[in-house]
This record gives sequence, structure tokens and C-alpha cells, in this order.
Amino acid sequence: MSDKNPIERPTVNSIDSYVKKHASHVGETQGHQHPTSETIREADYEGHHIVIRTTYQIEVDGKPVTGHMGVTDDGKVHYHPVPNISFASALDMVKQLINIFPDDFNHIADKSTVAEEHATPAHEGHATTARARAKRTSTGRRVKKTHTDH
Amino acid sequence: MAIRENILTSATARDKYIQGVKLLKNEFTGPTTADLGIPGTSQPVSTYDLFVVWHHVAMTTFTPPSQSDRNAAHRGPVFLPWHRFMLLQLEMNLQRVLGNDTTFGLPYWDWAQDGELSPARQGRAAIWGRSYMGGSGAPVATGPFAFNSADPNSWRVRITASVNGQLIQVNRGLRRQLGAAVQGLPGPNRLPRKAHTAAALNQPVYDVAPWKTSSDGFRNLIEGWQDDPEIPSPSLHNRVHVFIGGDMSPSTSPNDPVFYLNHCNVDRVWESWMRPVPAGHGRAYTYDSLNV
Repeated sequence: MSDKNPIERPTVNSIDSYVKKHASHVGETQGHQHPTSETIREADYEGHHIVIRTTYQIEVDGKPVTGHMGVTDDGKVHYHPVPNISFASALDMVKQLINIFPDDFNHIADKSTVAEEHATPAHEGHATTARARAKRTSTGRRVKKTHTDH
Repeated sequence: MAIRENILTSATARDKYIQGVKLLKNEFTGPTTADLGIPGTSQPVSTYDLFVVWHHVAMTTFTPPSQSDRNAAHRGPVFLPWHRFMLLQLEMNLQRVLGNDTTFGLPYWDWAQDGELSPARQGRAAIWGRSYMGGSGAPVATGPFAFNSADPNSWRVRITASVNGQLIQVNRGLRRQLGAAVQGLPGPNRLPRKAHTAAALNQPVYDVAPWKTSSDGFRNLIEGWQDDPEIPSPSLHNRVHVFIGGDMSPSTSPNDPVFYLNHCNVDRVWESWMRPVPAGHGRAYTYDSLNV
């Protein structure tokens, strides 16, 4: 076999120089923040051109989650910092993010617990009007609270 | 010539792999976190951790940038060749730190074999034993990558991704949650089975339009996106990440040395798929035809 393309084996020096040469690419990806994530899906059908724009804006305990989120053609959602799974439900996706990145939510969870312990029922009711929210009951059982709780 | 062997049947390959990744984890060739724009006090970045950064950067690079499905290493046709190149680079670095041992080949983990066990037993399979990769935990407390806060040379995760997708510095032990429940995932969180690998090998084409996660073909099935009724997504490669959980979940999943055992097995299945017909679906070149 021809040896026109001999294997270039890594050395300590080649690793150092290669990384420094391409380090700017890392810096570029560090700046990726997406307060909102928009996905545009397009298709042609029966002579018609379909465009679907989907925008997600995620918050956990009032803090934005800003990694890029996308929607695939089959309607599943995926979150780029978690590259190996898609979800049928965006709520399930965010719950799983809390499981995968506990360090990012620990301090938020602590504050949330304090806030919920001190929240008045009336105030809490307004806060959950527009969204399903899990809260801990006095028995510790988790229930889903929706606007129908009013 | 390097031969890639099953880590469960070759103690030599297992021991060299563990020794090699530990050497790379503690080899600092010059680059620092400041060079890479990672916030915090500037710290040297080990050769092993450079592979972690490399994988993260590829994953956060859309190809082309006009869409948001494919990235430079996943969710498209490049998935298999990109990771093959990564494996070769790691393998050559392991050979280097093992004393220029060019006979060393990356071992693979045949996860479909363990996928034949009951779900309850999969997290206790031999691969998770003290002599192999160690077990579940946050941090992992058994095996060669167990965390010991008093021992700075114990395996530490130093660079990981935040929930918002930025690289950050940490100093903690490796995390795994073998078989833990996943939100929205029906049934037990279990490994792929032999029938799933066989289904991938039976795919007649490598990839098809639109060349992403909705495609038919071998690549999208072995990567784990294709929603076959018998093999619901996440499957095969993806399912292995999801089954292990912890540090195998984010874009910095090479933090767990099991990452390479998974991908070496994926590469093995791909190589099998490419074998000439009738055993495979690939093309073979004669020796003379390569002499161009």
C-alpha cells in the first residue's frame, strides 16, 4: 500500500500548538446564549410551501435557561447541551435538565423552597395561573397545580 | 498492528486502557483554560480533557449554521466518521503515553451483550465491577475512577458543561446513574439488545435525505434517533449514554472513560456493516486499485 499519506502521530508539542491554533473556536461557542430558541421547519406539500416557526422561552424558578433548544420534524424537542435524547414533552425535557445538571439548580431549589414555605395561598395562586406547576403539600406529596385550583 | 478487543475478555487491553487514560488525565502539555476562554482562574488543561472540550465544541457547531439539527459530530452522516477520527486520535495518544506501544488498541464494550440481561441486572454487569469501570454514584465510589477527595490523583472531572451549554471549571468526582429513570421515557431505562444491533446491520443504506435525525438508514439507527416501532428512540448509541446518565449525559460526555468503550463498539458495528456483501453492505477495493 502507498505511504504517500503517512500517519502523523501526536506529540506533546503538536497537541499544544494545535489547541492554541484552534482555541478561538472554543471561545466562539462559549458565547452561545439563547434567551429564546426559535426553530423553523419547512416542507413542500401538494404544491404548497409550509413554514412553522416555534419559539421556546424556558425559565426555572424565574431564571432563564438559555441553551439552544430545537424541534425536529416529528415534533420532538431537543436541547443541545444534552445531545443524546429528544423528548415528546418540553416539560419532561426541563425536568430531566434539572436531574442532569443538579449543580445549576441546587441554589435555586434552596431559594424556591424558602419562597414556597413563605408564600401566601393567594400570591401562590396568581403565580400559577398560566402554567402547570408542581408544589409540595404539607404531607410532602407532590401534586400538579393548575389554574383550575382557583 | 493494534487489535481492538472486548474489554471483558482481554485483561491486558483493559489494564492498558485504564493506565493510559489516567496518564492522559494527568498530562499537561501547555494549553490552559484561559487559552480556551473557559471562565475562572486559569488552570492547565490535560490532554484527556482536551478531548472533552473538542467533543463539546463539535456538538455546539451547527453544520451548516443555517439549521439547528445537525452539528459537526452528531445528528447527521458525519456521526460515524467524526467519532472514528476521535477514537484514532485518542488511541494514538494512549499508545504514546504507554511507551509508544503501537500494539495497543482501544477496547470496546459490547453493550448489547449486557442488554440481554434483565434491567435490574444491567447496572450490576461485569463492566461496572471494581476491576473494570467501577459502578454507579455521584461521585462514583468504586473501581479505577472512584473519587477520593483526599487524593488529588483520583479521577476528577475538571471541565464540564453548564445547563446553558457553556464550558465551566469544576473539581469533583465522576457521576453515573446507571439505569435511573428518565423523565418522559416509558419503561425501564435499559441497554440496547442484540436484536437492535442486528436491525442496524440489516439496514441497506448508510444514510438518506434529509440527512438528519428523521432519516432512514444505518447511521440514524445506530446513532439512536430513528423511531423504529420495535426500537424506540433513544436507541443503540444514544441509549447507552442515557442508560449511564450522569456525566455521560451532557456534551462533555467524554469525561467518563466509558464514552470511548461505547464509541469503539459503535465503530466496530459500523466496520461490520461496511464489510463486503454478503456479510456487510460496504465496498471493497482490491490492493491494486488503491495504488493510485
